[in-house]
Amino acid sequence: MSEAFQIMMWPLLACLLLPGLLVYLGLHIVRREIIFVDLALAQVAALGICMAILLGHDAHDWQTTAWSGGFTFVGAALLTLTRPSGKRVPQEALIGIVYVVAAAASFLLLSRSPEGNEELRRTLVGEILLVQPGEVLRTFAMFTAIGIVHLIFRRKFWLLSFAPEQGKSEGIRLWLWDFLFYVLFGIAVTSFVRMGGVLLVFSYLIIPAVCANIFATTMRARLAVGWIVATLASVAGLYASYRLDLPTGAAIVCALGLALLLTSSVRIFHNSK
Amino acid sequence: MQMKTTTLINMTILAGIFFFGISSNTYAKLNVVATTADFGAIARDIGGDLVAISVLAKPTEDPHFVDAKPSYISKLARADVLIEGGAELETGWLPPLIDGSRNTKIESGKPGHVMCAEGLALLEVPTTLDRSQGDIHAMGNPHFMTDPLNARYAAQRITAALGAADTQNSILYQKNLAAFLQRLDMKLPEWKKQMEPFQGRRVVAYHNSWPYFANRFGVKIDLFLEPKPGIPPTPAHLAEVMTTMKTENIRVIIIEPYENRKTAEAVSAKTGASLVNFSQYPGGIKGTDSYIELIDTLVNSLVTALKTGGTSKE
Repeated sequence: MSEAFQIMMWPLLACLLLPGLLVYLGLHIVRREIIFVDLALAQVAALGICMAILLGHDAHDWQTTAWSGGFTFVGAALLTLTRPSGKRVPQEALIGIVYVVAAAASFLLLSRSPEGNEELRRTLVGEILLVQPGEVLRTFAMFTAIGIVHLIFRRKFWLLSFAPEQGKSEGIRLWLWDFLFYVLFGIAVTSFVRMGGVLLVFSYLIIPAVCANIFATTMRARLAVGWIVATLASVAGLYASYRLDLPTGAAIVCALGLALLLTSSVRIFHNSK
Repeated sequence: MQMKTTTLINMTILAGIFFFGISSNTYAKLNVVATTADFGAIARDIGGDLVAISVLAKPTEDPHFVDAKPSYISKLARADVLIEGGAELETGWLPPLIDGSRNTKIESGKPGHVMCAEGLALLEVPTTLDRSQGDIHAMGNPHFMTDPLNARYAAQRITAALGAADTQNSILYQKNLAAFLQRLDMKLPEWKKQMEPFQGRRVVAYHNSWPYFANRFGVKIDLFLEPKPGIPPTPAHLAEVMTTMKTENIRVIIIEPYENRKTAEAVSAKTGASLVNFSQYPGGIKGTDSYIELIDTLVNSLVTALKTGGTSKE
Protein backbone atom coordinates (compact mmCIF):
# COMPACT_ATOMS: atom_id res chain seq x y z
CA MET A 1 0.00 0.00 0.00
CA SER A 2 1.46 3.33 -0.98
CA GLU A 3 2.11 6.02 1.56
CA ALA A 4 -0.42 8.41 0.07
CA PHE A 5 -3.15 5.86 0.36
CA GLN A 6 -2.13 4.94 3.86
CA ILE A 7 -2.28 8.54 5.05
CA MET A 8 -5.38 9.57 3.15
CA MET A 9 -7.45 6.40 3.33
CA TRP A 10 -9.82 7.36 6.14
CA PRO A 11 -10.26 10.97 5.06
CA LEU A 12 -10.95 9.62 1.56
CA LEU A 13 -13.51 7.12 2.83
CA ALA A 14 -15.15 9.84 4.92
CA CYS A 15 -15.35 12.10 1.87
CA LEU A 16 -16.72 9.36 -0.36
CA LEU A 17 -19.26 7.79 2.01
CA LEU A 18 -20.64 10.73 3.93
CA PRO A 19 -21.41 13.51 1.43
CA GLY A 20 -24.02 11.28 -0.24
CA LEU A 21 -26.63 12.26 2.32
CA LEU A 22 -25.38 15.84 2.55
CA VAL A 23 -25.80 16.37 -1.19
CA TYR A 24 -29.37 15.10 -0.99
CA LEU A 25 -30.18 17.35 1.99
CA GLY A 26 -28.48 20.20 0.15
CA LEU A 27 -31.00 19.91 -2.70
CA HIS A 28 -33.77 20.53 -0.15
CA ILE A 29 -31.91 23.41 1.47
CA VAL A 30 -31.14 25.17 -1.80
CA ARG A 31 -34.72 24.73 -2.96
CA ARG A 32 -36.12 26.20 0.26
CA GLU A 33 -33.66 29.09 0.07
CA ILE A 34 -32.46 28.58 3.61
CA ILE A 35 -28.81 28.33 2.67
CA PHE A 36 -27.37 29.28 6.04
CA VAL A 37 -29.51 26.97 8.12
CA ASP A 38 -26.62 24.51 8.44
CA LEU A 39 -24.34 27.17 9.86
CA ALA A 40 -27.03 28.16 12.34
CA LEU A 41 -27.70 24.59 13.48
CA ALA A 42 -23.99 23.77 13.68
CA GLN A 43 -23.44 26.85 15.80
CA VAL A 44 -26.34 25.96 18.08
CA ALA A 45 -24.85 22.47 18.52
CA ALA A 46 -21.46 24.01 19.27
CA LEU A 47 -23.14 26.15 21.91
CA GLY A 48 -24.39 22.92 23.49
CA ILE A 49 -20.84 21.56 23.49
CA CYS A 50 -19.55 24.73 25.16
CA MET A 51 -22.29 24.44 27.77
CA ALA A 52 -21.34 20.82 28.54
CA ILE A 53 -17.65 21.68 28.81
CA LEU A 54 -18.43 24.56 31.12
CA LEU A 55 -20.34 22.12 33.33
CA GLY A 56 -17.16 20.04 33.57
CA HIS A 57 -17.81 17.29 31.03
CA ASP A 58 -15.13 16.18 28.62
CA ALA A 59 -15.58 16.88 24.91
CA HIS A 60 -15.99 13.13 24.28
CA ASP A 61 -18.37 12.33 27.18
CA TRP A 62 -21.87 11.18 26.38
CA GLN A 63 -23.23 14.14 28.34
CA THR A 64 -21.56 16.45 25.84
CA THR A 65 -23.25 14.66 22.96
CA ALA A 66 -26.54 14.87 24.86
CA TRP A 67 -26.18 18.63 25.44
CA SER A 68 -25.24 19.21 21.83
CA GLY A 69 -28.16 17.04 20.68
CA GLY A 70 -30.56 18.84 23.02
CA PHE A 71 -29.51 22.21 21.73
CA THR A 72 -29.88 20.98 18.14
CA PHE A 73 -33.43 19.88 19.03
CA VAL A 74 -34.26 23.33 20.37
CA GLY A 75 -32.67 24.87 17.29
CA ALA A 76 -34.81 22.65 15.06
CA ALA A 77 -37.94 23.71 16.96
CA LEU A 78 -37.01 27.36 16.55
CA LEU A 79 -36.50 26.92 12.82
CA THR A 80 -39.83 25.10 12.48
CA LEU A 81 -41.58 28.02 14.14
CA THR A 82 -39.94 30.45 11.76
CA ARG A 83 -41.25 28.85 8.57
CA PRO A 84 -42.37 31.92 6.65
CA SER A 85 -46.08 32.58 6.83
CA GLY A 86 -45.93 35.91 5.09
CA LYS A 87 -43.23 37.81 3.29
CA ARG A 88 -42.73 40.44 5.98
CA VAL A 89 -39.82 38.73 7.72
CA PRO A 90 -37.76 36.47 5.47
CA GLN A 91 -36.77 33.22 7.18
CA GLU A 92 -33.15 33.77 6.15
CA ALA A 93 -33.02 36.79 8.46
CA LEU A 94 -34.18 34.70 11.42
CA ILE A 95 -31.67 31.98 10.54
CA GLY A 96 -28.94 34.61 10.53
CA ILE A 97 -30.06 35.83 13.93
CA VAL A 98 -30.01 32.29 15.36
CA TYR A 99 -26.46 31.89 14.03
CA VAL A 100 -25.12 35.17 15.35
CA VAL A 101 -26.70 34.88 18.79
CA ALA A 102 -25.54 31.27 19.19
CA ALA A 103 -22.01 32.28 18.17
CA ALA A 104 -21.97 35.21 20.59
CA ALA A 105 -23.32 33.04 23.40
CA SER A 106 -20.58 30.48 22.74
CA PHE A 107 -18.01 33.25 23.08
CA LEU A 108 -19.52 34.28 26.40
CA LEU A 109 -19.41 30.71 27.67
CA LEU A 110 -15.91 29.94 26.47
CA SER A 111 -14.54 33.11 28.03
CA ARG A 112 -14.99 31.07 31.23
CA SER A 113 -13.58 27.84 29.86
CA PRO A 114 -10.18 27.43 28.21
CA GLU A 115 -11.01 23.98 26.92
CA GLY A 116 -14.06 25.37 25.12
CA ASN A 117 -11.81 27.58 23.06
CA GLU A 118 -9.99 24.64 21.56
CA GLU A 119 -13.22 22.72 21.08
CA LEU A 120 -14.95 25.60 19.30
CA ARG A 121 -11.99 26.12 17.02
CA ARG A 122 -12.13 22.44 16.16
CA THR A 123 -15.84 22.80 15.39
CA LEU A 124 -15.13 25.54 12.89
CA VAL A 125 -12.06 24.15 11.18
CA GLY A 126 -12.52 20.42 11.72
CA GLU A 127 -9.89 17.74 11.38
CA ILE A 128 -10.88 15.68 8.39
CA LEU A 129 -7.25 14.58 7.97
CA LEU A 130 -7.22 12.96 11.40
CA VAL A 131 -10.63 11.22 11.35
CA GLN A 132 -10.69 8.00 13.28
CA PRO A 133 -11.97 4.85 11.53
CA GLY A 134 -14.60 4.31 14.26
CA GLU A 135 -15.87 7.84 13.83
CA VAL A 136 -16.29 7.43 10.08
CA LEU A 137 -18.12 4.12 10.42
CA ARG A 138 -20.40 5.34 13.23
CA THR A 139 -21.32 8.46 11.29
CA PHE A 140 -21.88 6.43 8.15
CA ALA A 141 -24.27 4.15 10.05
CA MET A 142 -26.15 7.17 11.35
CA PHE A 143 -26.27 8.74 7.89
CA THR A 144 -27.62 5.50 6.47
CA ALA A 145 -30.39 5.50 9.09
CA ILE A 146 -31.31 9.10 8.30
CA GLY A 147 -31.17 8.27 4.60
CA ILE A 148 -33.61 5.39 5.11
CA VAL A 149 -36.10 7.63 6.94
CA HIS A 150 -35.88 10.07 4.05
CA LEU A 151 -36.27 7.25 1.54
CA ILE A 152 -39.41 5.92 3.22
CA PHE A 153 -41.05 9.32 3.50
CA ARG A 154 -39.49 10.77 0.38
CA ARG A 155 -42.79 11.99 -1.05
CA LYS A 156 -43.70 13.92 2.11
CA PHE A 157 -40.27 15.51 2.34
CA TRP A 158 -40.38 16.32 -1.35
CA LEU A 159 -43.74 18.06 -1.01
CA LEU A 160 -42.41 19.92 2.00
CA SER A 161 -39.58 21.57 0.10
CA PHE A 162 -40.71 21.57 -3.51
CA ALA A 163 -44.49 21.98 -3.38
CA PRO A 164 -45.65 23.03 0.09
CA GLU A 165 -48.96 24.37 -1.25
CA GLN A 166 -49.83 21.02 -2.76
CA GLY A 167 -48.81 19.35 0.50
CA LYS A 168 -51.14 21.60 2.43
CA SER A 169 -54.05 20.82 0.14
CA GLU A 170 -53.36 17.10 0.59
CA GLY A 171 -53.71 17.56 4.34
CA ILE A 172 -50.10 16.94 5.39
CA ARG A 173 -49.16 18.45 8.73
CA LEU A 174 -46.33 20.57 7.41
CA TRP A 175 -45.00 21.69 10.79
CA LEU A 176 -44.53 18.11 11.98
CA TRP A 177 -42.58 17.08 8.88
CA ASP A 178 -40.70 20.34 9.01
CA PHE A 179 -39.62 19.61 12.57
CA LEU A 180 -38.58 16.07 11.66
CA PHE A 181 -36.64 17.41 8.68
CA TYR A 182 -34.73 19.89 10.84
CA VAL A 183 -34.00 17.35 13.58
CA LEU A 184 -32.58 14.82 11.10
CA PHE A 185 -30.76 17.60 9.29
CA GLY A 186 -29.33 18.90 12.55
CA ILE A 187 -28.07 15.45 13.57
CA ALA A 188 -26.43 14.90 10.18
CA VAL A 189 -24.82 18.33 10.09
CA THR A 190 -23.50 18.34 13.65
CA SER A 191 -22.00 14.88 13.40
CA PHE A 192 -20.21 15.78 10.19
CA VAL A 193 -19.14 19.15 11.59
CA ARG A 194 -17.21 17.37 14.34
CA MET A 195 -15.14 15.70 11.64
CA GLY A 196 -14.90 18.15 8.82
CA GLY A 197 -15.78 21.52 10.28
CA VAL A 198 -18.39 24.09 9.34
CA LEU A 199 -16.76 25.20 6.08
CA LEU A 200 -16.65 21.69 4.68
CA VAL A 201 -20.20 20.75 5.69
CA PHE A 202 -21.53 23.94 4.14
CA SER A 203 -19.67 23.25 0.89
CA TYR A 204 -20.86 19.64 0.65
CA LEU A 205 -24.45 20.74 1.21
CA ILE A 206 -24.61 23.69 -1.13
CA ILE A 207 -22.08 23.43 -3.96
CA PRO A 208 -23.05 20.02 -5.43
CA ALA A 209 -26.72 21.02 -5.14
CA VAL A 210 -26.09 24.23 -7.05
CA CYS A 211 -24.12 22.36 -9.74
CA ALA A 212 -27.00 19.90 -9.98
CA ASN A 213 -29.53 22.69 -10.44
CA ILE A 214 -27.45 24.04 -13.31
CA PHE A 215 -27.58 20.75 -15.18
CA ALA A 216 -30.64 18.78 -14.27
CA THR A 217 -34.31 19.19 -13.53
CA THR A 218 -35.54 15.91 -12.08
CA MET A 219 -34.66 14.94 -8.52
CA ARG A 220 -32.94 11.76 -9.69
CA ALA A 221 -30.74 13.50 -12.25
CA ARG A 222 -29.87 16.23 -9.75
CA LEU A 223 -28.81 13.64 -7.20
CA ALA A 224 -26.63 11.93 -9.79
CA VAL A 225 -24.93 15.17 -10.84
CA GLY A 226 -24.50 16.25 -7.21
CA TRP A 227 -22.93 12.96 -6.19
CA ILE A 228 -20.55 12.95 -9.15
CA VAL A 229 -19.45 16.51 -8.41
CA ALA A 230 -18.98 15.78 -4.70
CA THR A 231 -16.98 12.62 -5.38
CA LEU A 232 -14.68 14.12 -8.02
CA ALA A 233 -14.06 17.27 -5.99
CA SER A 234 -13.33 15.21 -2.85
CA VAL A 235 -10.76 13.09 -4.63
CA ALA A 236 -9.17 16.12 -6.31
CA GLY A 237 -9.10 18.08 -3.05
CA LEU A 238 -7.57 15.23 -1.07
CA TYR A 239 -5.04 14.65 -3.80
CA ALA A 240 -4.04 18.32 -3.86
CA SER A 241 -3.85 18.36 -0.08
CA TYR A 242 -1.46 15.43 -0.13
CA ARG A 243 0.76 16.50 -3.01
CA LEU A 244 0.97 20.20 -2.15
CA ASP A 245 0.75 19.70 1.63
CA LEU A 246 -2.29 21.89 2.17
CA PRO A 247 -4.81 21.86 5.03
CA THR A 248 -7.16 19.09 3.93
CA GLY A 249 -10.60 20.57 4.65
CA ALA A 250 -9.82 23.87 2.95
CA ALA A 251 -8.38 22.07 -0.09
CA ILE A 252 -11.63 20.13 -0.57
CA VAL A 253 -13.71 23.29 -0.19
CA CYS A 254 -11.65 24.99 -2.91
CA ALA A 255 -11.91 21.91 -5.14
CA LEU A 256 -15.70 22.08 -4.79
CA GLY A 257 -15.61 25.77 -5.67
CA LEU A 258 -13.55 24.94 -8.74
CA ALA A 259 -16.06 22.23 -9.67
CA LEU A 260 -18.84 24.83 -9.65
CA LEU A 261 -16.75 27.10 -11.84
CA LEU A 262 -16.15 24.22 -14.28
CA THR A 263 -19.77 23.10 -14.44
CA SER A 264 -21.08 26.62 -14.96
CA SER A 265 -18.57 27.29 -17.74
CA VAL A 266 -19.49 24.00 -19.37
CA ARG A 267 -23.12 25.10 -19.19
CA ILE A 268 -22.38 28.48 -20.73
CA PHE A 269 -20.26 26.88 -23.42
CA HIS A 270 -23.00 24.36 -24.09
CA ASN A 271 -25.71 27.04 -24.30
CA SER A 272 -23.80 29.28 -26.65
CA LYS A 273 -23.42 26.50 -29.21
CA MET B 1 -20.57 18.01 -23.00
CA GLN B 2 -17.22 17.11 -24.55
CA MET B 3 -15.35 19.22 -22.07
CA LYS B 4 -17.08 17.49 -19.23
CA THR B 5 -15.88 14.11 -20.44
CA THR B 6 -12.27 15.25 -20.63
CA THR B 7 -12.53 16.76 -17.16
CA LEU B 8 -13.86 13.45 -15.99
CA ILE B 9 -10.92 11.61 -17.52
CA ASN B 10 -8.48 14.07 -15.99
CA MET B 11 -10.05 13.61 -12.61
CA THR B 12 -9.83 9.85 -12.96
CA ILE B 13 -6.14 10.11 -13.78
CA LEU B 14 -5.64 12.35 -10.75
CA ALA B 15 -7.45 9.81 -8.63
CA GLY B 16 -5.20 7.08 -10.03
CA ILE B 17 -2.05 8.96 -9.12
CA PHE B 18 -3.56 9.62 -5.75
CA PHE B 19 -4.01 5.95 -5.06
CA PHE B 20 -0.60 4.84 -6.18
CA GLY B 21 1.23 7.88 -4.91
CA ILE B 22 4.85 8.66 -5.32
CA SER B 23 7.17 8.23 -2.42
CA SER B 24 10.76 9.06 -3.19
CA ASN B 25 12.90 9.18 -0.14
CA THR B 26 16.46 8.53 0.88
CA TYR B 27 17.00 6.31 3.85
CA ALA B 28 20.68 7.12 4.18
CA LYS B 29 20.25 9.50 7.09
CA LEU B 30 18.54 8.87 10.38
CA ASN B 31 15.09 10.49 10.16
CA VAL B 32 14.35 12.52 13.27
CA VAL B 33 11.08 14.37 13.88
CA ALA B 34 10.79 16.93 16.66
CA THR B 35 7.47 18.42 17.74
CA THR B 36 8.94 21.84 18.52
CA ALA B 37 11.97 23.80 17.36
CA ASP B 38 13.82 23.65 20.69
CA PHE B 39 14.16 19.86 20.49
CA GLY B 40 14.87 20.15 16.77
CA ALA B 41 17.74 22.56 17.34
CA ILE B 42 19.32 20.37 20.01
CA ALA B 43 18.91 17.25 17.87
CA ARG B 44 20.73 19.14 15.10
CA ASP B 45 23.60 19.90 17.48
CA ILE B 46 23.81 16.24 18.48
CA GLY B 47 23.12 14.59 15.13
CA GLY B 48 24.95 16.96 12.81
CA ASP B 49 25.08 15.66 9.23
CA LEU B 50 24.10 12.16 10.24
CA VAL B 51 20.45 12.99 10.79
CA ALA B 52 17.67 14.59 8.75
CA ILE B 53 15.53 16.65 11.11
CA SER B 54 11.97 17.83 10.60
CA VAL B 55 10.20 20.05 13.10
CA LEU B 56 6.39 19.92 13.12
CA ALA B 57 5.30 23.12 14.90
CA LYS B 58 6.64 26.34 13.44
CA PRO B 59 8.71 28.27 15.99
CA THR B 60 6.17 31.10 15.80
CA GLU B 61 3.18 28.79 16.29
CA ASP B 62 1.46 28.09 19.62
CA PRO B 63 2.56 24.54 20.47
CA HIS B 64 -0.74 23.93 22.27
CA PHE B 65 -2.54 24.21 18.94
CA VAL B 66 -0.92 22.92 15.78
CA ASP B 67 -2.82 22.45 12.53
CA ALA B 68 -2.27 19.02 11.03
CA LYS B 69 -1.13 18.74 7.43
CA PRO B 70 -0.60 15.54 5.40
CA SER B 71 3.17 16.04 5.38
CA TYR B 72 3.22 15.75 9.18
CA ILE B 73 1.89 12.22 8.90
CA SER B 74 4.32 11.26 6.13
CA LYS B 75 7.22 12.70 8.13
CA LEU B 76 6.13 10.64 11.12
CA ALA B 77 5.66 7.57 8.94
CA ARG B 78 9.31 7.80 7.90
CA ALA B 79 10.68 8.77 11.32
CA ASP B 80 13.24 6.65 13.12
CA VAL B 81 13.07 8.85 16.19
CA LEU B 82 10.34 11.17 17.45
CA ILE B 83 11.20 13.79 20.07
CA GLU B 84 8.45 15.47 22.05
CA GLY B 85 8.23 17.37 25.32
CA GLY B 86 5.65 15.00 26.65
CA ALA B 87 4.17 16.98 29.53
CA GLU B 88 0.81 17.30 27.77
CA LEU B 89 1.98 20.21 25.61
CA GLU B 90 1.38 18.28 22.37
CA THR B 91 -1.50 16.21 23.68
CA GLY B 92 -4.14 17.98 21.58
CA TRP B 93 -2.64 17.15 18.20
CA LEU B 94 0.25 14.67 18.29
CA PRO B 95 -1.45 11.35 19.26
CA PRO B 96 -3.81 11.21 16.25
CA LEU B 97 -0.87 12.06 13.96
CA ILE B 98 1.16 9.16 15.40
CA ASP B 99 -1.85 6.87 14.98
CA GLY B 100 -2.21 8.03 11.39
CA SER B 101 1.45 7.39 10.61
CA ARG B 102 1.18 3.72 11.63
CA ASN B 103 4.88 3.76 12.43
CA THR B 104 5.51 1.26 15.20
CA LYS B 105 9.01 2.64 15.84
CA ILE B 106 7.63 5.87 17.30
CA GLU B 107 4.67 4.51 19.22
CA SER B 108 4.42 5.72 22.77
CA GLY B 109 6.68 3.65 25.00
CA LYS B 110 9.03 2.54 22.21
CA PRO B 111 12.70 3.61 22.33
CA GLY B 112 12.16 5.67 19.16
CA HIS B 113 9.70 7.90 21.00
CA VAL B 114 11.54 10.30 23.31
CA MET B 115 9.58 12.20 25.92
CA CYS B 116 12.01 14.77 27.22
CA ALA B 117 9.97 15.61 30.31
CA GLU B 118 10.14 12.04 31.53
CA GLY B 119 12.23 11.94 34.69
CA LEU B 120 12.22 15.71 35.17
CA ALA B 121 10.70 17.30 38.26
CA LEU B 122 8.20 19.68 36.68
CA LEU B 123 6.98 22.84 38.36
CA GLU B 124 3.39 23.71 39.20
CA VAL B 125 2.02 20.16 39.34
CA PRO B 126 -1.59 20.77 40.36
CA THR B 127 -2.78 19.25 43.62
CA THR B 128 -6.34 19.02 42.36
CA LEU B 129 -7.51 18.77 38.80
CA ASP B 130 -9.98 21.56 38.38
CA ARG B 131 -10.97 23.14 35.10
CA SER B 132 -11.80 26.41 36.82
CA GLN B 133 -8.05 27.01 37.05
CA GLY B 134 -7.71 27.42 33.29
CA ASP B 135 -5.86 25.17 30.87
CA ILE B 136 -4.93 22.23 33.03
CA HIS B 137 -1.68 20.38 32.72
CA ALA B 138 -1.94 17.45 35.11
CA MET B 139 1.78 16.71 34.84
CA GLY B 140 2.90 20.26 35.61
CA ASN B 141 3.97 23.26 33.55
CA PRO B 142 5.15 21.89 30.17
CA HIS B 143 7.39 24.83 29.18
CA PHE B 144 10.43 23.28 30.88
CA MET B 145 12.98 23.83 28.12
CA THR B 146 13.49 27.49 29.08
CA ASP B 147 15.74 26.27 31.90
CA PRO B 148 19.18 25.40 30.40
CA LEU B 149 19.61 22.61 32.95
CA ASN B 150 16.45 20.94 31.63
CA ALA B 151 17.79 21.40 28.10
CA ARG B 152 20.95 19.67 29.30
CA TYR B 153 18.85 16.70 30.42
CA ALA B 154 16.84 16.69 27.17
CA ALA B 155 20.07 16.66 25.15
CA GLN B 156 21.19 13.54 27.01
CA ARG B 157 17.86 11.83 26.38
CA ILE B 158 18.00 12.75 22.69
CA THR B 159 21.59 11.47 22.39
CA ALA B 160 20.62 8.15 23.94
CA ALA B 161 17.71 7.74 21.52
CA LEU B 162 19.79 8.65 18.45
CA GLY B 163 22.51 6.24 19.58
CA ALA B 164 20.00 3.45 20.08
CA ALA B 165 18.46 3.96 16.66
CA ASP B 166 21.83 4.25 14.92
CA THR B 167 24.31 2.22 16.96
CA GLN B 168 27.09 2.58 14.36
CA ASN B 169 27.35 6.30 15.03
CA SER B 170 26.55 6.37 18.72
CA ILE B 171 30.10 7.38 19.63
CA LEU B 172 29.88 10.37 17.31
CA TYR B 173 26.59 11.42 18.92
CA GLN B 174 28.26 11.15 22.33
CA LYS B 175 31.07 13.38 21.10
CA ASN B 176 28.66 15.99 19.81
CA LEU B 177 26.75 15.85 23.09
CA ALA B 178 29.95 16.47 25.03
CA ALA B 179 30.68 19.52 22.86
CA PHE B 180 27.15 20.84 23.30
CA LEU B 181 27.20 20.38 27.05
CA GLN B 182 30.58 22.04 27.26
CA ARG B 183 29.29 25.13 25.44
CA LEU B 184 26.15 25.16 27.57
CA ASP B 185 28.07 24.76 30.83
CA MET B 186 30.34 27.59 29.80
CA LYS B 187 27.46 29.91 28.96
CA LEU B 188 25.27 29.22 31.99
CA PRO B 189 27.49 31.02 34.55
CA GLU B 190 27.83 33.95 32.12
CA TRP B 191 24.05 34.25 31.81
CA LYS B 192 23.64 34.02 35.56
CA LYS B 193 26.23 36.74 36.03
CA GLN B 194 24.41 38.99 33.58
CA MET B 195 21.16 38.47 35.47
CA GLU B 196 22.83 38.89 38.88
CA PRO B 197 21.91 42.58 39.38
CA PHE B 198 18.22 41.90 38.78
CA GLN B 199 17.56 39.19 41.35
CA GLY B 200 13.98 39.18 42.59
CA ARG B 201 12.77 41.65 39.95
CA ARG B 202 9.24 41.06 38.72
CA VAL B 203 8.40 40.77 35.02
CA VAL B 204 5.00 40.52 33.33
CA ALA B 205 4.28 37.80 30.74
CA TYR B 206 1.26 37.11 28.56
CA HIS B 207 1.05 33.36 29.29
CA ASN B 208 2.60 31.35 32.11
CA SER B 209 5.41 29.85 29.99
CA TRP B 210 8.41 31.11 31.92
CA PRO B 211 8.54 29.68 35.48
CA TYR B 212 11.61 27.55 34.67
CA PHE B 213 13.52 30.46 33.13
CA ALA B 214 12.54 32.69 36.07
CA ASN B 215 13.67 30.09 38.61
CA ARG B 216 17.03 29.56 36.97
CA PHE B 217 17.87 33.24 36.64
CA GLY B 218 16.36 34.57 39.84
CA VAL B 219 13.63 36.81 38.44
CA LYS B 220 9.91 36.56 39.12
CA ILE B 221 7.70 36.08 36.07
CA ASP B 222 4.44 35.53 37.89
CA LEU B 223 2.12 38.27 36.66
CA PHE B 224 0.19 37.40 33.50
CA LEU B 225 -2.00 39.29 31.07
CA GLU B 226 -4.18 36.18 30.79
CA PRO B 227 -6.46 35.92 33.83
CA LYS B 228 -6.02 32.13 33.75
CA PRO B 229 -3.85 30.08 31.38
CA GLY B 230 -5.56 29.87 27.98
CA ILE B 231 -8.24 32.44 28.78
CA PRO B 232 -8.02 35.72 26.85
CA PRO B 233 -7.39 38.91 28.87
CA THR B 234 -10.46 40.61 30.33
CA PRO B 235 -10.69 44.36 31.01
CA ALA B 236 -10.99 43.93 34.79
CA HIS B 237 -7.98 41.64 34.96
CA LEU B 238 -5.84 43.96 32.83
CA ALA B 239 -6.74 46.91 35.08
CA GLU B 240 -5.63 44.87 38.07
CA VAL B 241 -2.35 43.93 36.38
CA MET B 242 -1.68 47.57 35.48
CA THR B 243 -2.33 48.69 39.05
CA THR B 244 0.14 46.09 40.34
CA MET B 245 2.66 47.16 37.71
CA LYS B 246 2.40 50.79 38.81
CA THR B 247 2.54 50.17 42.55
CA GLU B 248 5.46 47.75 42.27
CA ASN B 249 7.15 49.67 39.48
CA ILE B 250 7.27 46.67 37.12
CA ARG B 251 8.81 47.90 33.90
CA VAL B 252 9.04 44.92 31.55
CA ILE B 253 6.46 42.85 29.66
CA ILE B 254 7.61 39.82 27.67
CA ILE B 255 5.61 38.66 24.66
CA GLU B 256 5.85 35.62 22.39
CA PRO B 257 5.17 35.60 18.63
CA TYR B 258 1.77 33.87 18.77
CA GLU B 259 0.39 35.86 21.67
CA ASN B 260 -1.90 38.85 21.25
CA ARG B 261 0.54 41.68 20.79
CA LYS B 262 -2.15 44.37 20.75
CA THR B 263 -3.10 43.66 24.36
CA ALA B 264 0.53 43.80 25.46
CA GLU B 265 1.08 47.01 23.48
CA ALA B 266 -1.93 48.65 25.13
CA VAL B 267 -0.68 47.70 28.61
CA SER B 268 2.81 48.87 27.71
CA ALA B 269 1.49 52.21 26.43
CA LYS B 270 -0.56 52.79 29.58
CA THR B 271 2.16 51.82 32.05
CA GLY B 272 5.28 52.93 30.20
CA ALA B 273 6.74 49.44 30.56
CA SER B 274 8.92 48.18 27.73
CA LEU B 275 7.81 45.30 25.55
CA VAL B 276 10.42 42.57 25.03
CA ASN B 277 10.18 39.91 22.32
CA PHE B 278 10.59 36.48 23.84
CA SER B 279 10.29 33.04 22.36
CA GLN B 280 10.66 29.55 23.74
CA TYR B 281 11.76 28.30 20.34
CA PRO B 282 14.92 28.87 18.30
CA GLY B 283 13.80 30.68 15.16
CA GLY B 284 10.96 32.40 17.03
CA ILE B 285 13.21 35.45 17.22
CA LYS B 286 15.47 36.44 14.33
CA GLY B 287 19.05 35.27 14.56
CA THR B 288 18.41 32.44 16.98
CA ASP B 289 19.06 29.19 15.18
CA SER B 290 20.44 27.17 18.05
CA TYR B 291 19.24 26.70 21.58
CA ILE B 292 22.25 28.46 23.05
CA GLU B 293 21.81 31.46 20.72
CA LEU B 294 18.19 31.65 21.81
CA ILE B 295 18.88 31.75 25.55
CA ASP B 296 21.72 34.19 24.86
CA THR B 297 19.32 36.52 23.04
CA LEU B 298 16.65 36.18 25.74
CA VAL B 299 19.06 37.00 28.53
CA ASN B 300 20.60 39.93 26.65
CA SER B 301 17.30 41.54 25.71
CA LEU B 302 15.83 41.01 29.19
CA VAL B 303 18.92 42.54 30.80
CA THR B 304 18.76 45.55 28.47
CA ALA B 305 15.07 46.07 29.22
CA LEU B 306 15.51 45.71 32.96
CA LYS B 307 18.41 48.18 32.92
CA THR B 308 16.69 50.90 30.93
CA GLY B 309 13.13 50.26 32.09
CA GLY B 310 14.00 50.03 35.77
CA THR B 311 15.57 53.43 36.30
CA SER B 312 12.61 55.74 35.72
CA LYS B 313 10.37 55.82 38.74
CA GLU B 314 7.04 57.58 38.70
